[in-house]
Amino acid sequence: MSVKKDNNWEPVILAFCCNWCTYTGADLAGLNRMKYPENVRVIRVPCSSRVNPQFIIRAFQKGADGVLVCGCHPGDCHYATGNYYTRRRFMLMKRLLEYNGIDPKRFQAKWISGSEAAKFRDTVIQVSAEIKALGPNTKFVGTYAPQNAVEGGQE
Amino acid sequence: MILAKKDLDQALGILSQDAEVFVPIIELIEDKSGIKEPAFEKKFMPYFEGAAVGLDNFNTVKPPKDVLFPNVEKLYKYKTGENAYIQEILPEDKPKVLFGVRPCDMRSIDSMDKVFFTKEYVDSYYAKRRDLVTIVAIGCLDTQRTCFCDSMGIDPNDAPTADVMMNVTKTSRTKACPVTGCTIPEDDGSYILEARTEKGQALLEKIKALCTEDGSEEACKDTVCKLKIEKDPKLDEKLSTMFEHPIWDKITKGCIGCGTCTFVCPTCYCFDIDNENYGAEGCKYRCWDSCMFSDYTRMAGGANPRPTKKERLRNRYMHKLSYFNERYGETLCVGCGRCIENCPAHLDISEFIEKASKVDADAKEYSEADFAGKEAR
Amino acid sequence: MAYTKEQIQEMIRQEAKKALATGEVSAVVGWTSTRFEDRTKPFFAETESECDLLVWNEYCINGTAKYALDDRYPEKKLAVIARGCDSRAINRLIQDKQVKRENLYIIGVACDGKDNPICKECQHKNPLTFDVLVGEEVEEQINADRFAEVLAFEKLTPDERYDYWAKQYDKCIHCYACRNACPACNCIECYADQYRTGWQGKAADREQNQVYGLTRVYHVGDRCIECGECERVCPMDLPIMRQTRKMLKDINDLFGDYECGLPDDRKPVLGEYKLEDPDEFM
Repeated sequence: MSVKKDNNWEPVILAFCCNWCTYTGADLAGLNRMKYPENVRVIRVPCSSRVNPQFIIRAFQKGADGVLVCGCHPGDCHYATGNYYTRRRFMLMKRLLEYNGIDPKRFQAKWISGSEAAKFRDTVIQVSAEIKALGPNTKFVGTYAPQNAVEGGQE
Repeated sequence: MILAKKDLDQALGILSQDAEVFVPIIELIEDKSGIKEPAFEKKFMPYFEGAAVGLDNFNTVKPPKDVLFPNVEKLYKYKTGENAYIQEILPEDKPKVLFGVRPCDMRSIDSMDKVFFTKEYVDSYYAKRRDLVTIVAIGCLDTQRTCFCDSMGIDPNDAPTADVMMNVTKTSRTKACPVTGCTIPEDDGSYILEARTEKGQALLEKIKALCTEDGSEEACKDTVCKLKIEKDPKLDEKLSTMFEHPIWDKITKGCIGCGTCTFVCPTCYCFDIDNENYGAEGCKYRCWDSCMFSDYTRMAGGANPRPTKKERLRNRYMHKLSYFNERYGETLCVGCGRCIENCPAHLDISEFIEKASKVDADAKEYSEADFAGKEAR
Repeated sequence: MAYTKEQIQEMIRQEAKKALATGEVSAVVGWTSTRFEDRTKPFFAETESECDLLVWNEYCINGTAKYALDDRYPEKKLAVIARGCDSRAINRLIQDKQVKRENLYIIGVACDGKDNPICKECQHKNPLTFDVLVGEEVEEQINADRFAEVLAFEKLTPDERYDYWAKQYDKCIHCYACRNACPACNCIECYADQYRTGWQGKAADREQNQVYGLTRVYHVGDRCIECGECERVCPMDLPIMRQTRKMLKDINDLFGDYECGLPDDRKPVLGEYKLEDPDEFM
């Protein structure tokens, strides 16, 4: 992969966080004044099974360097069974993305409960370090994305 | 002027020095895992050195229209909020050469010219591309089994509106192409080139050194299409009275509603304009659209005047065979056979033309069984 | 005694006529000849005389199951001539509640393999669901290495894989033939037709083709019956089955042997879960 090693470059990581566990966990991390990299952009979803696998491809196209999907631990789902479906879906999605050439580190899923503020912090630190090491994502980037934008007046 | 086949690559090389030369290339796509058989490149591609040019081979799957009317064409880009701007994106200035266009495709470009230039509106994007293109047409030496352009009033040996007309010479021996199986001239064969316009004259000037003048050589012009269809010469008028005819119910049943026929059709010119946004930045583009898609006629409220494939396919056939005649005085179907070859459900516009020519326009019932000679094997 | 093709063809015609004669069936979907010897097309026989146009030969390639979706609320039954693949597709459509079994009359016919490369890999030649069976059943084969292609492809480096697929998706012209021919693609309205939602743009460029290609592959993941229609209909020859087979392989690896459309009561893999599923996300 061609890596544009720019010293100022910071990865953009999209984190889909389940409202009932991970989002609360992230909130707790904030209340406890835990420090973690600001690369992560949290999107609150009602349940980790709300995350359509298509969101992930779309996220890469729109400029994300990594995607993180977080939900309740199996058995703890607010809706009883949502994360069991998530588990099946994303195990398959992860493999499909890998098959299509995306580094598996760029797409990760984790179970983080409402009390696991430290785990949230550690996960974000770890994921952003991993993606920083990988460099900017060049795969699946949209043809019209600003980094691919046509310069000048001609095509 | 006579150009030997062995000098063709050199000629294309000279032309690509100051223009982008689009030729049908038979590129054998190498598959790394070695599982799938090599496939042909199915469209006109910019010439590069060492390319296997498939000039005499069958029609490309993708028509040459996308050189003049690209699949996706950026119109302008913009940004909102701070530092807002709108910047027009124009087609590039580089001249292009379309090399090896079949007479059917040349005719399709004529039809597109009518659409984009006449009736008091000139499409500036199309016009700019069209002005910069020099078209070298080639008379067919062999036709595909789905070719029926001579039944649609086109001569497969001659394209009158091309800038340069190219034909295989009568003295050239022929052989079967090892890749596609169609008849092509032997490697010691040659082509006759004849300029029809000033642009064509200028093009021939560039490769003059490679050519010879031989007045005794004649062009091979006896190719006929493999598929002969019986078409009612007044089919367009007849069809205009057949809007509610039961034939539509029957022939459209097999259609699966994909857009293959429209995208491989050299004369389908419908487009849509859409945009793609990235935060505050974005780009407006126009892209091919297909009348076979459900959203083609869907209104903002969700109502759709063409709700099923019957209405959509009827519109497509009527447009090709009747509506275009009404507006521009010629049939839009050029008989290239691409839609017949590529239709997933094996629908056949030539079969429809024959059936529609034969049926009674006022019939209340229609049965496939009425067509003699269609006996099952 | 094995029947000849001509005998089966005659029996299909007779069964079609019988079905129409009951008055409960509006049409029989099968194949008829075209002007080319090596090609047939899907055909709706609606009258007795049209039943004589139905053919049965090695070129009857098109799937017939998808036509059951043309009219989701029919007044009469639709008779479908179903080979093994078609019957699996119908099973799955019924399981997905896209069609009702009572709206279909299935004329099963064992398939001896068609003039289509994918048929060599077929594991279900005999129809699995039918109201009447034409001819007799044939011997099934087990295709132990149906994932060989996927396994070989997985050995490439990530960049090679990405470049390969990027090149493939560059060829795509967005005609949606794969979707429309696929019996697993049974949504009333495809997400790809909902342009205003921003799921996907309309342009046929790499970006949109990648979204479309991967989304469709994922979406039909546990529904694919491996009929190969997607790959056959693709005018630009994209190796689509190489993606769908990858999904199937992972499903088999992770959640146990699975083939969709079989007449067992197993729920769709992505529509159920097990507590003991492997967990990689702890």
